[in-house]
Amino acid sequence: MISYLADERRVIQWIRHLAAETPVFFPMPHGKVNFRFERVDEASELQFARYRPTIIAPNSFLTPTKEEIFKYQRVGPGRYELTPAVETTFQILAGVRPCDLKAIKLMDDVFADGERDPYYFQRRTNTSLIGYACPAPCDEMAYCESAGSLDWRDGVDVMLTPVGDRMLIQAYTERGEALTASGDFDPCDDPDAELQRHLDERPKPFGRQLHAPVDELPAILERHWDSPLWDQHVERCFSCGTCNLVCPTCYCFDVKDVSALDGSSGSRTRQWDACMLTTFATVAGGHNFRADPAARQRHRVKRKFQYLNERYDSGAFCVGCARCGRQCTTGIDIFDIVNDIVDHDRAAAGGAS
Amino acid sequence: MKDTEKPKPKIAFFDFAGCEGCQLALLNCEDVVLDLLELVDIVEFREALSEKAHRYDISFIEGSINREEDAQRLRDIRARSKYVVALGACACMGNVQARSNFVAPAENFAVVYGEEARNRVQTDREYWPLWAHTRVRSVDEVVPVDYQLRGCPMIPEEFLSLVKSLLAGSIPFFPPKPVCVECKMNCNECVFDQGRTCMGQVTYAGCNAVCINNGYVCDGCRGLLPGANLDAHRQLLRESGLTDAQIESRYRLFCSQAETKHTGQ
Amino acid sequence: MTMPGAFEPSPVANYLPTTAIIEEAENFTARDRYFRLSLERPLGHRPGQFVMVSVFGLGEAPISISNPPGDAPTLEMVIRNAGSLTQVLHSYGPGDAIGLRGPYGHGFDLHDFLGRDVLFICGGLGLAPLRSLIRAVIDRRGEFGRVMVISGCRTPAEEIYRPDLTAWAERGDVDIVRLVDNAANMPWKGRVGLVTEPIAGLKLDPAETVVAMCGPPVMYKFVLLELAGAGINGDRVFVDLERRMRCGVGKCGHCQINDIYCCQDGPVFRFSEIAHLKEAFL
Repeated sequence: MISYLADERRVIQWIRHLAAETPVFFPMPHGKVNFRFERVDEASELQFARYRPTIIAPNSFLTPTKEEIFKYQRVGPGRYELTPAVETTFQILAGVRPCDLKAIKLMDDVFADGERDPYYFQRRTNTSLIGYACPAPCDEMAYCESAGSLDWRDGVDVMLTPVGDRMLIQAYTERGEALTASGDFDPCDDPDAELQRHLDERPKPFGRQLHAPVDELPAILERHWDSPLWDQHVERCFSCGTCNLVCPTCYCFDVKDVSALDGSSGSRTRQWDACMLTTFATVAGGHNFRADPAARQRHRVKRKFQYLNERYDSGAFCVGCARCGRQCTTGIDIFDIVNDIVDHDRAAAGGAS
Repeated sequence: MKDTEKPKPKIAFFDFAGCEGCQLALLNCEDVVLDLLELVDIVEFREALSEKAHRYDISFIEGSINREEDAQRLRDIRARSKYVVALGACACMGNVQARSNFVAPAENFAVVYGEEARNRVQTDREYWPLWAHTRVRSVDEVVPVDYQLRGCPMIPEEFLSLVKSLLAGSIPFFPPKPVCVECKMNCNECVFDQGRTCMGQVTYAGCNAVCINNGYVCDGCRGLLPGANLDAHRQLLRESGLTDAQIESRYRLFCSQAETKHTGQ
Repeated sequence: MTMPGAFEPSPVANYLPTTAIIEEAENFTARDRYFRLSLERPLGHRPGQFVMVSVFGLGEAPISISNPPGDAPTLEMVIRNAGSLTQVLHSYGPGDAIGLRGPYGHGFDLHDFLGRDVLFICGGLGLAPLRSLIRAVIDRRGEFGRVMVISGCRTPAEEIYRPDLTAWAERGDVDIVRLVDNAANMPWKGRVGLVTEPIAGLKLDPAETVVAMCGPPVMYKFVLLELAGAGINGDRVFVDLERRMRCGVGKCGHCQINDIYCCQDGPVFRFSEIAHLKEAFL
């Protein structure tokens, strides 16, 4: 690994330099209080200090909300020519926070499982990640440390770590070395000391804390399948799917055809779907396997903290970015739901002993 | 993938009480309209053609039904049509004009024709025909409707997807989900984060959140989503600073007719 | 910018359907249509697996395979008219082409049944996937103990694979019980009642019997109770479950039952392995 030190101004110059040659996406303010990953151009104001998790997570650059997987064209009666979508544009996602880095790593696991998904990996392989280690919680809702993503580095090409008024720049991959070579940064002889300083400067505890360690949550959730808490936490739910759509580890999709008017040509697409929507689990005959909003909420929570981590033998699929709670108009927060269940579990255990 | 030659289906457009903005929305997609003419015969498109036919494969009804003579005409169209499609918010749910259903007829007359009309509509036979305007109805209150193309105006993409489905012999399907789904996928900042209020959570999607994409809010022109959590939504509006009267007004702007149907008023 | 590790992806076969031609089509019931398709090569499937059927412009639907494994480049299936895609498929006949990908999922393993008494319990359209296994068992009839089929549907007009049920009954070495919930004033020589009712009368040997079942969601709980009452262990019961599926390869998330994916881990499961899953049965 090659390490450098530079002040933020130099790092931003470097990102602008990269953006002159390659599409670079960086979190930028949007609207009144939000951020979005937007393409860097000459007019972009780049800065690291002010940040709130983007409305949609950067995984949308790897699995777009609507993605063509192949085109079809009728070439004779009942005969179609199929052309799989090929996407080879090289892109850089810069300023990606550790919570989103971990989410991308989890998506790598999901799409590599079983039949390796070529559409995901053609984008993933052509995407470079420049991470940024948070010196402080982005706002009062983050619980990344508690969810186990705060110090995530796996999958990153270059990691930027603020230390005092400078940044430690570390190239984790060959591609990262190629990217940083153009940076004109000072070499860093003792990156471990700088990292330690970064850790020392960081507030402790970092952000909100779940009431139980994430590795204990699967067992706790399993004990509360029939809890009335599931009903309580959907009293104000619109089943609008916002929590799914903004989640960096939600990847469910529907498959839909978009055809020309006469049906002779078109494309088959994958479009984001959301398990909180009412008909997500409805089969053609009309039976809905999760008709009750509470059942859908329970499914979502267990997917993030139990089902998927067990399936992929990974950490929690919730990375603690708190986008779902932040974007929910009625403030339903998965952090509160989980803590409520943990508290009830502890209270029940206390009462029994 | 089935390849058989069929005669071109006849489709027709009929206007009732509305602004004809839905037909304009379609005419604005000129390239698609030309493609469409390759596949179907369009009759009775008042805005484009003036030909008439007797039977129709698909009849698109635009506008609300305000008078009994309109209802009669609509029944006749229904009898001559294989599919009847309500086109746009007026036809689907009465649109803004259905707000008058919440006001006593005499009050309406006073507002529209002057204070002296208030009593004269009852006492002067010359005014009696005005009573025929006292209730604004959606198309499905008068005749069975096969499909609804919601919105003010309707969305040309949905129109095309419906026509494509019917041409392919399939059942068009518009998934019941709220506007928030499309709004989020467009990465919009939530209107509530800006201190404004929105009907998106309880409104039928399909418009691609076009109003929010363009800096406005959702007023619910596509109607209330079946099963939407209205209690939570009203509470959210209250917490966002609206009075109960303002909340009613917000709901009644487009969804009044649907609301009266839901509550059986 | 050329970057180390970047690559030009080669065309990929995932999600790409191949073309199959309908050779035979017949309406089994008012809403169920039978198809026999000729394929470019044999499917290479196991009983209980499914395919994704495509009509370009309308999308895809998961459909169970009805024919037993074999060397013939053939696919048999029954499609219920229950949506925009299947409605169009109901207008298809011999010579028409459809798109196919698969087979997908984890089907039945004939080894679990060899040498045993085998009981099939089919509700409605559930006979369509189970037929792939019933036919495979009957083709090797000598290698099994008793072979029993309970096939139920709502009314006589809704029974599928009638010629097969008749032919199996005529063999003399297969016990066939045909039932309807309600004969509905139609001619009916079978029994009237639910598929649970004949189980006790079969006098099953719990030590020897293996069960395969498939039917509408409401059926499972009651049949499983009845089987438990007959002393049949959950590890001898195989269930074929229906869920919504959009991809067939464990990615789209729709078919998830608690922590398992029906399309990959199923749709056929050994009951004892999923008995703990709260979402598996109603």
